[in-house]
Amino acid sequence: MSEALVASQPAGTDLSVPAASGARQFWRRLRAQRAALVAAAVVALLVLVALAAPLLTAIEGQDPFTYHPSLIDSARGGVPTGSFGGITGDHWLGVEPQTGRDLFARLVYGARVSLGVALGATVVQVLIGVVVGVAAALGSRWVDQLLSRLTEIIVAMPLMIMSLALLAIVPSSFPRPLLVALVIGLIAWGNTAKIVRAQTLTLKQLDYVSAARLSGWGTWRIARRELLPGLAAPVITYAALLVPTNITVEAALSFLGVGVKPPTPSWGQMLTAADVWYQAAPQYLLLPAGALFVTVLSLTVLGDGIRTALDPRAASRLRIGTGRKREARADAGTKGDAGTKDATTKSASSKEATS
Amino acid sequence: MRIPEHPPREVVIPMRQPSVIARRVAVASVSLAVAAGAAACGPKDNDAKGSSGDSTPHKGGTLTVLNSNPQEDFDPARLYTSGGGNVPSLVFRTLTTRNRENGAAGAKVVPDLATDTGRPNKDATVWTYTLKKGLKYEDGTAITSADIKYGIERSFAPELSGGAPYLRDWLVGAADYQGPYKDKKGLSAIETPDSRTIVFHLDKPEGEFPYLATQTQFTPVPQGKDTGTKYEQHPISSGPYKVVSNQNDGETLVLERNKYWSTATDSERKAYPDKIDVKSGLDSSVINQRLSSSQGADATAVTTDTNLGPAELAKVTGDKELAARVGTGHFGYTNYIAFNPTVAPFDNVKVRQAISYAVDRSSVVNAAGGSSLAEAATTFLPNQKSFGYDPYDLFPAGASGNAAKAKELLKEAGYPKGITVTLTHSNDKDFETSPEIATAIQDALKKAGITVKLQGLEINDYKDKIHSVKTEPGFFLAHWGADWPSGGPFLAPIFDGRQIVKDGANFNTGLLNDKSVNAEIDAINKLTNLDEAAKRWGALDKKIGEQALTVPLFHPVYKRLVGKDIKNVVISDWTGVLDISQVAVK
Repeated sequence: MSEALVASQPAGTDLSVPAASGARQFWRRLRAQRAALVAAAVVALLVLVALAAPLLTAIEGQDPFTYHPSLIDSARGGVPTGSFGGITGDHWLGVEPQTGRDLFARLVYGARVSLGVALGATVVQVLIGVVVGVAAALGSRWVDQLLSRLTEIIVAMPLMIMSLALLAIVPSSFPRPLLVALVIGLIAWGNTAKIVRAQTLTLKQLDYVSAARLSGWGTWRIARRELLPGLAAPVITYAALLVPTNITVEAALSFLGVGVKPPTPSWGQMLTAADVWYQAAPQYLLLPAGALFVTVLSLTVLGDGIRTALDPRAASRLRIGTGRKREARADAGTKGDAGTKDATTKSASSKEATS
Repeated sequence: MRIPEHPPREVVIPMRQPSVIARRVAVASVSLAVAAGAAACGPKDNDAKGSSGDSTPHKGGTLTVLNSNPQEDFDPARLYTSGGGNVPSLVFRTLTTRNRENGAAGAKVVPDLATDTGRPNKDATVWTYTLKKGLKYEDGTAITSADIKYGIERSFAPELSGGAPYLRDWLVGAADYQGPYKDKKGLSAIETPDSRTIVFHLDKPEGEFPYLATQTQFTPVPQGKDTGTKYEQHPISSGPYKVVSNQNDGETLVLERNKYWSTATDSERKAYPDKIDVKSGLDSSVINQRLSSSQGADATAVTTDTNLGPAELAKVTGDKELAARVGTGHFGYTNYIAFNPTVAPFDNVKVRQAISYAVDRSSVVNAAGGSSLAEAATTFLPNQKSFGYDPYDLFPAGASGNAAKAKELLKEAGYPKGITVTLTHSNDKDFETSPEIATAIQDALKKAGITVKLQGLEINDYKDKIHSVKTEPGFFLAHWGADWPSGGPFLAPIFDGRQIVKDGANFNTGLLNDKSVNAEIDAINKLTNLDEAAKRWGALDKKIGEQALTVPLFHPVYKRLVGKDIKNVVISDWTGVLDISQVAVK
């Protein structure tokens, strides 16, 4: 939170984080949620695995593209030889039916696609959403009408069908992961824009923004210096929840055959190829499905935790970040409401008792 | 099957299972591939035995047919079949038909309504047939040669389109004929001097006319009963069964015995069950699951358009009881890499040869489903005697490719550092022209210093591109299936220079226009001894192969699962599908 925001913080509003503790309080509130912490650790691990994919596969001594015909039983439809889908010291998670490609290598390289595309799409969605939302809220009535209707059209558009159509017509020479990220980003920014517009309209009414306007600041400067900091909390929250959604969309598109193209591995694509193998080679299906499940779950939990940590109302309702007396006191003290100090302390201790 | 735009001589037979969703998305491809279940033939010995111990087939009972594609067009004029189809062949008899035997014997053409497979004149331009005595429709009226003529004529009506293009191409003066509804005079190329004789006049020698006469367009249709486009709701049966009910445009069909049909005039169809219950619109995985569990009526069920995919095969082969219920089928079909020699660097024969040497057929076969579902191909013609198969291997790549030889050829071609090329394929999930095969080739060519970029196209886009001279890519995956088991419909459309179509659907993708090849095609077409013709087709295939315009990859093999109480499983090499006219349930 910027100093400007903190300085002009009007009493009684709960739109922003309490004074002098922005980032610190955020971390404290996030830390207090055990599930979010675990989720954050898992996400960090996944990101690390994705980044270190070449290193990890080098340690294993495999790559995601080489065929190993000797590891599959050609006469039986290409099912991996050996137990548990051909798991050996050389192939940590077994091999792919019909090709014998290493599953561990494909899974970790697939993580790059899944996470990369999802993050890229989220960045696009947030950028467009913020620009359109702020422009609609600050622009003239006509601009607002135009942008708001456009946003509604975008929100009403069925994401999967539009992506299928767009991805089918773009020439295959265009780099596929980038294209998938762009398409998801360009189609699904509507809700971000709506949230940003509503939040901007609220912020616009506040005294500090009026003050800035009265002192002769231009719209652009107000938007940048006064409004964007106030928008950070809702946008970060929403973005955190967009990432898992985007991962599932990417997987679904690859599953339907219009996402990332072979031989580039992706989890959605592995799922498509594996869906018929659920009986003959279950691990082939379970690996990408499990990876997708863990990723989406941990990102969602983390996103939820971020929202809680950024939203003071939710934080106090959930009694998070006030668990320790010292903190509660500090909290109360900074608010400067001496009269309620005892009450706060009391309620904090009673919370501890109940939890 | 019905082909919308081009005259597609590609016989679409039921393919491996695409995943449910992939298939639903590729709606277009599915609608195209409404195959009129290719059928099979021949009784006697079989690889699948009924579990009851007594394997002698008996009459009676109800046979259930579980299919994915509905019998949408049940009009003999509109069906595009190989050898008369499977379900259609229970209702429609034709002048000739396929021999209902297992394996290679089933690739022979035999008489059906006619007393023989046809009597040609000296240069095979006039074919005469005589009908057997005592032939009757389901209403007891006699079948006449005029009805067969009328049946063929109505297949020329634009509203009843869908059949193969051969009749229009071959019959004298038929090119612009619009069918009997518009042109009452009829086709003068077909004569019926009496009620049992029919004579066909062709504008060029066609020794393979007996094969054509197996197609459903040669079914008798009584003019008085013709209801035009509504005829498919109740076509008049000449075969062992008649249509009792047809719901949802062929999705559920009930066939019962036609009491006027007799084994005295039909030695091919066995017709053991009393009733045939066809249920279609099912997903292929559902069909195989139902057949394997064989609960209730599914114990006496078969399918005529679904085979086992690699994953299902892996499961089935692990279970002895199930494995005993699998029949194996072959069909004249080749999957290959096609080159467009007008596109660099494929204009250089050495580059084409290098790729021929570099291909790893074992990994391609694995990608296609493994050695039980595909056989490596080094010839363009299918590996069957009836096609004149000559097992040549002009660019021996061994099982896994000869990268050294390929590099040497590339060097000679002026590419000592290797080349980068783009392989065009479809995004269909058919394990034939699909990404799985393309990536296997990509991996193999890498070893020979050939970097392959993949260009995957949506199936209709892919078909349009490869079949247009203007847009044809240089290097792509293709496949070809036979309309009947002979070299003619296999080699002529692909390599006859006079069949290059500049504006429209072109199948001669190698753009080969070699006078000696064209002349040999004409010479073979004059032969009426089909065995002799087959040998010549085989030799011609080898001669064309020297130009390396294609790299044959594999011939598919089909594994067909049947219900546990099914007896007398017959699968011919003509169709590769179990023949339901031979199946018994008791």
